Amino acid sequence: MKDITYTQLLETNNLIQQNTDLTYWLCLTRTVQESKLFPVSPYMILSYFMCFYRYPSLLRKIEQHMAAEEIGDRARNMGIKIQNPAMGWCLPSFYLLGREYLIAMGMIRPQDAVEDVIYVMDFWKRFELAWHRNDGHLTNRDFGHRAQVLPERKLQIFHADMYDCVEGDPLHTAAQGFMAATSQYGFLVSCESRIALHNQGPYKLDDEREMIVRDFMDLAEGDYPWLDGVAADMPYNNLTVPMAVKGCHFNIIDDWGSFESQPEFKSHHMVGVGLYTSDTLSEGHTPVGMGSREELTRTFEMLAQKAKDATTKLWQRIAGWSRDQMVDAGAITYFSIIKDLAHVAGCYAAEDWVMIDERAERFRPLLNDEYSNMSLWEILGPLSNPTQRTNEYQMCQHANTPARMYSLIPYSILKDGDYTRTVGGLAPGVSHLPPKEDRYRTTQGVLSLAEYNRRAREFTPAVCGEDYKFLCESWLKYHHTTPEADTLYRLEQRDSRRLRDRGAGLSRADVEALRRDA
Amino acid sequence: MARLYGDSDKYGDQCGTPVVEAFHGAIKELVRRKLAESGQDWNDFVFGTAFELITASDFRAIDQKLLDYGHRYVWSALKSQQERPEAYTAAQGVGEDLATFSFEHPEAPKAPADAAGLELCGCGDNVVQYDTDLVGTARYIRSSAMVLTYLQNGVPPGTIAVIDDSGGTLTAPILEQFTGVLCAGGTVRSHLGILTREYGIPCFMNSKLSGIREGDTVRIESTATAKTADAYQKGVEMTGRVWRVTK
Repeated sequence: MKDITYTQLLETNNLIQQNTDLTYWLCLTRTVQESKLFPVSPYMILSYFMCFYRYPSLLRKIEQHMAAEEIGDRARNMGIKIQNPAMGWCLPSFYLLGREYLIAMGMIRPQDAVEDVIYVMDFWKRFELAWHRNDGHLTNRDFGHRAQVLPERKLQIFHADMYDCVEGDPLHTAAQGFMAATSQYGFLVSCESRIALHNQGPYKLDDEREMIVRDFMDLAEGDYPWLDGVAADMPYNNLTVPMAVKGCHFNIIDDWGSFESQPEFKSHHMVGVGLYTSDTLSEGHTPVGMGSREELTRTFEMLAQKAKDATTKLWQRIAGWSRDQMVDAGAITYFSIIKDLAHVAGCYAAEDWVMIDERAERFRPLLNDEYSNMSLWEILGPLSNPTQRTNEYQMCQHANTPARMYSLIPYSILKDGDYTRTVGGLAPGVSHLPPKEDRYRTTQGVLSLAEYNRRAREFTPAVCGEDYKFLCESWLKYHHTTPEADTLYRLEQRDSRRLRDRGAGLSRADVEALRRDA
Repeated sequence: MARLYGDSDKYGDQCGTPVVEAFHGAIKELVRRKLAESGQDWNDFVFGTAFELITASDFRAIDQKLLDYGHRYVWSALKSQQERPEAYTAAQGVGEDLATFSFEHPEAPKAPADAAGLELCGCGDNVVQYDTDLVGTARYIRSSAMVLTYLQNGVPPGTIAVIDDSGGTLTAPILEQFTGVLCAGGTVRSHLGILTREYGIPCFMNSKLSGIREGDTVRIESTATAKTADAYQKGVEMTGRVWRVTK
């Protein structure tokens, strides 16, 4: 057991404060989340307790198989949930919100579970730095609300292979219909939260066009028990849509993975689309229906209809649920938002991720709608819990009030040693929902969980292997003529319609010329 | 009685709302009592015996104590009210009383009908600016039972859904059939705002409405400037108007 150092506390408190500032901005500007169907605030608070009690143990378990920064490197190569909002904001803030609730209730002190807090924040930092490796930031907020995560070799493929479209043509209509239907399905799958959706970018295609990369995740039979059966016909668990726009600039891509643009994005701005799938068992993004414009149109239409059918079936299932079942599903959705860390590491267990920790379950009788709504508002809005108030000279970022959302760890523990180290290991879980059936849709077919974990442990995407993982964009700038660079690009280009075997030497203008020549 | 770490807080005093203060005060009292009963110091108690000594039954008693004082919780998910009607305020406008129900926001702008027969009865934050205003029939949609009816029978053409739920799940299976949406909550970035934008359905969020009844013909100013994130952050008013069409 190592002593905690001053440096560790300084860094941890800085990361906590960064999350305070980020959370306040997101909650102020982005949305009010509510539902007449789901008890949203009750499930959110229950999930925060789950995160506080379980994340330290589960993250340590994951790192026994794979380091946070390696998972961050893998995550850049696919469109699964460990991007935003999961990793940019939810991992640290759900954990810190659970901690802050317990501090506000007098159940713990700011100096309790200190080793856990240090570890969780450090895990988050290492993952984020790896995921943002190509733009060099910790969060989208650091980058002025932008996420340029992808390497040139992947962006060139998205650019080269996307089909042009204009409002009113069949492809444009089909793509727009797919994104609307799948967004809606994603909200329902995620019990009213937006965590099935993700946007990154923007990436510049030319002086008039930008591209964002949109992910729709956890759509098929997978980790959520409530999708067993109703999502059996969804042929892909994750879908990625590179989308080009003309005449508008995405000025905000935030750490919740949502966007804002100037002028406001409307459907007629969309001028190009592609479609891919990926997961922890795929060699990056695999094209879906990209053989021709007509095939892509039909594929979007087919997938939109499947999303609508699944929406209706799932809505009817949920409408028959008890409140406890709704709270369980929502809490599990929130808590398990980082579960794909375990899938990448090949150590996913349903009992770890889709059960309510018994230590958190104790709080359920408190979580009526009014207390939940008001306490959440207090902790995120006016920061009016007594534990959030600071001395009266202070002016917090954005609100200028003497308050801090997340309590810092007092440095006095280095003098008096009066602190506790950890909440302890995993405790048993309970659930009002049916148990998860052993079927997981992957890019390698429908697998049992044991087989899924086995394949994940044995699989390393080629571009993430030892030969290539450190061949970064800075290296490529000066080595694009080398055989190594050529091989790396050809690996990425293996399924590309227009760039297969083109290698590393193409510029953006070359890619555009290839598109025009086709 | 044992003292808690937070009992010597220099800067904090009370929570901002009575129900949160009541709950947190009662929980702190519970923790003080259990800590004293345990005979342990805090560091042994907090992640040790506290898990056994502080139980769901204790929290249930705190909830019941507030109800015994006569408090009734404000509900937000209808299921909460339906399963525990004795604990929540009554639900209005979700059943047979719908014909006489209307949202009544105290800040809704009101004005008598003008020469064109347009009676101002509210405003809202426009999600997307369109080329023309929208006219349709107001229909309140506030419960899963209402959604199920429309799912089975279809949504009548020209329906402008009047909703107090800014989420995207309650109306999920029928949303695409709406001609327009007036939502009494949320912001343009709420899930319902995002979905109506994707579907190309004119929508006002954060609508302040008064006097619109089930079946009224309404006009919404969907040509108004769309409200931006910057406007929310700076507290800038940027709304479109809602009228009842009286002739």
